[in-house]
Amino acid sequence: MTDSESPDSPGPPTATESGAAVSPAGGDVPDALAAVVDADTGEGELERTIGLVGGLAIGVGTMIGAGIFVFPGLAAENAGPAASLSFAIGAVIALLVALPASELATAMPRSGGGYFFISRGLGSAAGAVVGLGLWLGLVFAAAFYLVGLGSYAGQVFLEAGIALPIDPAVPLGVAFGVGLTALSLFGTENTAALQNGIVILLLVILTLFLSYGSLDALGVFGAERVPERFFPPGGALPVLQTAALVFTSYLGFAQVATVAGDITEPSRNLPLAMVGSVLLVGVFYVVTIFVATSAFGSARLGEFGETAMVEVARSFVGLPGALAIVVAGLLATFSSANASILSASRAVYAVSRDGVIPETASRLNLAYGTPHVALGLAGGPIVVLAATGQVALLAEVASFLHLVMYGLICVALIKLRREDPAWYDPSFRCPAGFAVAGVGGLASFALIAFMQSASIGVGAAVMIAAYGWYRYYATDVELKGDF
Amino acid sequence: MTETPAEDGGEQPEVGEGAATGEGAETDRPSVLVPLEVLEGESPPPGTPELLANARVVLLGYHVIPEQTAAEQAREQFGETAMSKLGEFADRLAEAGSDVETRLVFTHDKETTIDRLIYEYDCLAVLVPNSTERVDSVLVALRGTIGVGRNVRLVAGLFADAGVDVTLYHVLDEGESLDDGESFLNGVKTDLVERGIDLDRIETLVEDADASIDAIAGRAESHDAVVMGETDPSVTTFVFGMPSELVAERFLGPVLVVQRERPEE
Repeated sequence: MTDSESPDSPGPPTATESGAAVSPAGGDVPDALAAVVDADTGEGELERTIGLVGGLAIGVGTMIGAGIFVFPGLAAENAGPAASLSFAIGAVIALLVALPASELATAMPRSGGGYFFISRGLGSAAGAVVGLGLWLGLVFAAAFYLVGLGSYAGQVFLEAGIALPIDPAVPLGVAFGVGLTALSLFGTENTAALQNGIVILLLVILTLFLSYGSLDALGVFGAERVPERFFPPGGALPVLQTAALVFTSYLGFAQVATVAGDITEPSRNLPLAMVGSVLLVGVFYVVTIFVATSAFGSARLGEFGETAMVEVARSFVGLPGALAIVVAGLLATFSSANASILSASRAVYAVSRDGVIPETASRLNLAYGTPHVALGLAGGPIVVLAATGQVALLAEVASFLHLVMYGLICVALIKLRREDPAWYDPSFRCPAGFAVAGVGGLASFALIAFMQSASIGVGAAVMIAAYGWYRYYATDVELKGDF
Repeated sequence: MTETPAEDGGEQPEVGEGAATGEGAETDRPSVLVPLEVLEGESPPPGTPELLANARVVLLGYHVIPEQTAAEQAREQFGETAMSKLGEFADRLAEAGSDVETRLVFTHDKETTIDRLIYEYDCLAVLVPNSTERVDSVLVALRGTIGVGRNVRLVAGLFADAGVDVTLYHVLDEGESLDDGESFLNGVKTDLVERGIDLDRIETLVEDADASIDAIAGRAESHDAVVMGETDPSVTTFVFGMPSELVAERFLGPVLVVQRERPEE
């Protein structure tokens, strides 16, 4: 009579209904979807604590660091003012994937994101390759963000007038990598509120800066600047190559799906957070390039490297502008790096839960409640990769591994809609599903072709190794349609 | 969950209506939420089963997980252990006579979880679990007429036939006279008697004190448990903590924190 559902108390909801998570804020429709996933299976229920704002903050916070604070110099050097077109192409592809991913996420709102959809939709082999690829993709992405973070930290010394004998970007990036990993291992402070605050502060700084910059570029504050030729000498090819390079700036929306298990009202908040964050950062990126290339010639921007935006701000409003962008850049790259480390650890958890890698990898440390093995598997290689300092290569390999996953997400959507298994009941349906997923999938794979051959080589090697691991270790794991 | 929303909004201590309007259709037992951080070794302290013998206890085992950990991950690893502990605790409470419902929640935010369950079960009170040797006398601290019906329902529901002495206690507000205070408490006393508490087991006590928290904690020392209301979060509560928590810290005995009426959804 002491069990959870005593039949003689008719009033309260039973445990199975309770996952409906009626929000105290009032007025919310109970989320039937969340109810099924969170239902108490005899081992406790799960509280969903991330709302729409939190979801958007994860997406925006992961993405905005790269596109605005690392890439403008590099991108403008390669593609000139047309680099804004490269960013726009990236945004369109990301949207074409975000929509199918939203549908899949509302059908399977579980931690693991893209890996989960693909392993359940396409089977274990594809799942294992994507799952291990996602882990390493995030590792490459985090290393890339860390080098960016190091560049901005180095800029602090520069602004303070302290001359350093070597370029401090890489050593500082490595130091931050070690620090962040340690923080996520032992820190039990809740950082969600902090993350939301950082993202809001960033958006405010950027909106002010970009508004001023746009007005300036249009000649409101003086002579209109003479725009340089929009397309670079090479025509469309450099634009597409640059799109492939800067696609790393859009990897964050899928991170929202990796915490799908913690999001309240997933049928509404997941699609909104994923699509919304892509749209938001996309607009910011395009305007950023427009402003940057109006302020300086593309070649000059390229010379400034990762911290080009600092010089752009300095040209507008002098030292205060430069300092504001240095601070914003530190915050943005820091939050991107942090989010990627945590996502990488969740990816490790997801594959280990399914037995694709040994279960030890997802063990929690009882004292801190953190997944120490998974965090180690994320943080270790991240630090090593950050030490290489190869910004473009790191970014492209990260994009490569993610694009493969995105392409397969689209394939999974088409397959699931065709087969329509009994468990597949998404509450959000991607409009024009087949067309969107078809174009999104093709575009994702096609973008890979425009990368440097070194990046393609490293990316392909990672995937082959992942498949090899699957053949060696996990051939008996059956994941298709498994919940 | 079938109450009329206006019930506690009125200025009068209009008790007795709760039962009339439908509370009786469900159960007369007041719902009390008992949150325990099971995996941190918390268990129902001695005296709790006796205190809640007449309650419908919602036994909430919760585990707070850091943000870098997926809730599913924690459930997978700790769920079974936590559930079996919770089952033991539930047995202990049920032996003493209470109806027990158990819930185990893995959460990133304790407050969200507790608040959600208060709603779901329409809990009259939340227990701050501290130990007590016996339950012979209870201090009921009442602030004013608003919401007092819920205090009455809780006290009557828990202690009507339990042979427990009830002391109604009120600290005067600014501008309130001793007579006002006494007539307020006498009104509550009448309601309690109507609901089955022995007249001679009820005492009333009105006091003019500067710091009500100190006064309540001081008075509580000669009792075994405290019933008091919750307070709206404000800057003061943010800095110093909620009054009920402060009282519980000093009193070291069990405190039943009566919850405000939750708005209907």
